[in-house]
Amino acid sequence: MLSGGMISPQPGAGPVSPAIAISVDALSARYGVNTVLDNVSLEIARGSSFALLGPNGAGKTTLLNILSTLRKPDGGSARVAGADVVRQQGEARRSLGVVFQDSSLDDRLTAWENLEFHGLVYGMPSRQRKERSAAVLALVELEDWRDEIVRSFSGGMRRRLEIARALLHEPKILFLDEPTAGLDAQTRVRIWRYLDELRRDRDLTVLTTTHYIEEVEGADTICIIDHGKIIAQGSPEALKTQHGHRWLHVIPRDAAALSAIAARRPDAQPLGAHGLALPADDGAEVDAFLAAFRDQLTEVQFQDPTLESVFLSLTGRQLRDRADDTHNAEKAAGRRGGRR
Amino acid sequence: MNRTMMALRGLYGVWLREITRATRDRAQLIGGISRPLIWLLILGVGLNPYFRGEVYGEVRFVIPFTYLQFLFPAVIVLNIMYTSIQFAVSVIWDREFGFLREVLVSPMPRWLILFGKVLGGATVATLHGALVLILARFADVTLSLEQVALALALMFTLAFGLTSFGVILAARVRSFEGFGVFSNTVILPLYFTSSSIFPLDPALTRAQQAVTYPEWLVFLVQINPITYAVDALRGVLINFNQFTPGWGIGIIVAMAVGFFLIAIIDFARQ
Repeated sequence: MLSGGMISPQPGAGPVSPAIAISVDALSARYGVNTVLDNVSLEIARGSSFALLGPNGAGKTTLLNILSTLRKPDGGSARVAGADVVRQQGEARRSLGVVFQDSSLDDRLTAWENLEFHGLVYGMPSRQRKERSAAVLALVELEDWRDEIVRSFSGGMRRRLEIARALLHEPKILFLDEPTAGLDAQTRVRIWRYLDELRRDRDLTVLTTTHYIEEVEGADTICIIDHGKIIAQGSPEALKTQHGHRWLHVIPRDAAALSAIAARRPDAQPLGAHGLALPADDGAEVDAFLAAFRDQLTEVQFQDPTLESVFLSLTGRQLRDRADDTHNAEKAAGRRGGRR
Repeated sequence: MNRTMMALRGLYGVWLREITRATRDRAQLIGGISRPLIWLLILGVGLNPYFRGEVYGEVRFVIPFTYLQFLFPAVIVLNIMYTSIQFAVSVIWDREFGFLREVLVSPMPRWLILFGKVLGGATVATLHGALVLILARFADVTLSLEQVALALALMFTLAFGLTSFGVILAARVRSFEGFGVFSNTVILPLYFTSSSIFPLDPALTRAQQAVTYPEWLVFLVQINPITYAVDALRGVLINFNQFTPGWGIGIIVAMAVGFFLIAIIDFARQ
C-alpha cells in the first residue's frame, strides 16, 4: 500500500491500479487564449489525503471541475475511481462527493430537505436516506437546525451542512474546494478527524484545494501548483527538506553588534527592530558564525523550514492572502452582471 | 430495475424541490390567486353586458355565450402562461447561485434533471390554472368530472410546453432584472392576440372578417399558438371552438415536445 500520492515516472502508462483513486494524465485546459492547466499529470493513492496548494487563479478549481465532470479538458485524460471523466461520467459521478468553493445549497429549503434532495438525486432508498442524513447532521452538529430554512444559516453553518451533504451518499472520493474557510477551529478539527477516520476505515480519498498553508499540514501529499503547472509534489516533510530553508534568528546585544554581524554576513535580513535572520542550511557556517559572535547575541533561535517558506522559495512570492477578497468581489460583480 | 428505481427517485427529488419551493414563494401564489380574480371579476363582469357580436349597431355574428363564459378558459391559460414562463427565474436562480452544480455532479443524466424540473414547474403552473376552475360556478360554467379531467390533462400539457419555453428563455437571459421586463413583453402580447378576450368568427368570409378587424390583427391571432391552446380549452370547458377542434390539442402537444427538445439541447450546453 502506498503511503501517499507519489510522482509517477510515467503517469497513465499501463493499467490503472486499484490502489490509485485518481489519475491525471497530461491534462490541459484553456480559457480563450489563457492556459489554465498546462500538461498536468498526477496520481493520488486510495485512502490518502492529497492537497492542491496554490494561489487563486493557479488552476486548482479548473482541475477540480474537470475531475468532477463539470468541465471537459482541452487535452489529456483523467480517471476517478477508475472511470474516465469524459467517457464514463455516470460512474465517475457516483463515486464522488464534492464540496464547492461557493455554496451550492438551496437556501429556501431546510437543512433536512437539502439532504433529502441529495439522497434522492443519488438514488438512495428512503431508509438509508433517513439514517445517513441523521448521521451526517450529527457529525457537523446541526441536529437542532434540521428543520430550519438554510437562508437563516451563517456562513460556517452552511459550510458544515455542505460537507455533511457531500458525505451523505458515502462517496469513495471527496473533493473539498477551499473547504474550511469560515469554519471555527473546533469544527475544523472535528471534521478533519472524522475524515481521517473515513480514510482509515473505508479508504476514502480526500482531495483538497486550498491557499491556506495551515490546512494542508496534515495531508499525506502536497502538490504545489502555480500558473497551471505542478511545481513540486511530496509529503510535507519531504517538501520542507527539499525546498525549505532553515533560518537562524538572532538578536544582537546592541547596535554595534548588529552592524558588525551585518558587515560579516551580507545575506542577513532584518527581523523586527533589533533582530536579524540568517540562512542556516549550512551547519558548519552556522557553527563558525556562532563561535565568532557568541558574546554579542542576547537571543538565538533556529527556525525550521515551513511550507510557507517552501512556497516562497518555489514561486518567489507569498500565497496571496487577500485572494479571498478579490474572489468575493469578482463573484458579486459576476452576479450583478450576470456573467458565468 | 435498480437503475430505474434510482432514476425515478432522482426525478421525484427534483420534482419535489420545485413544488416545495413554489409553496414557499408567497408572491407567486398571490399572483396566481389575484390574477384570475382581477380578470374575471373586473374585466369579465365589466364587459359582460357588451358582449353581443354587434358592430356599429348591426349584429354581425352571435356567440351563444356570456362574456364571462367566453373569457373563463382564457384566464386559465393566462394563469398557466405567467407561472410557466416565470419558471425561468427558478432556472436562472439555480445557475447564478450555484445550486445547479450540485445536480450536475450527481449521477442523474442531464435530460432527466431537466425533465424533473419541467415536470415540477408544469405541476405548479397547472395548479395555478386549476385555481381558476374553482371560479367556474361564478362564471356560469357547469363542468362534469370528465370535462375537468380532460381540461387538466390539456392544461398540464400546455404548462409543460410553456415551462420548457421558460427554460429556453432562461438560457438566453443572463439576469433576473432583464427577465422581469422580458416576461411581460412576451406574455401579454401573446395573451391579447390569442382571441382570448375577443372572438374571431371563422364563419365569416375573409372580406367580412377584415371589416370587423384589421387584417394584421387577424393574421397575428392566427399565427399565435396560444390562440389554439385557448381554443382547445374552450372546446372542452364551454363546448365552443372557433377553429377545427383537433388543431388545438395538436399544437399543445407539439409545443410540449418541441420546446422540451430545444430545452434539452440548451441545458446540455451548460
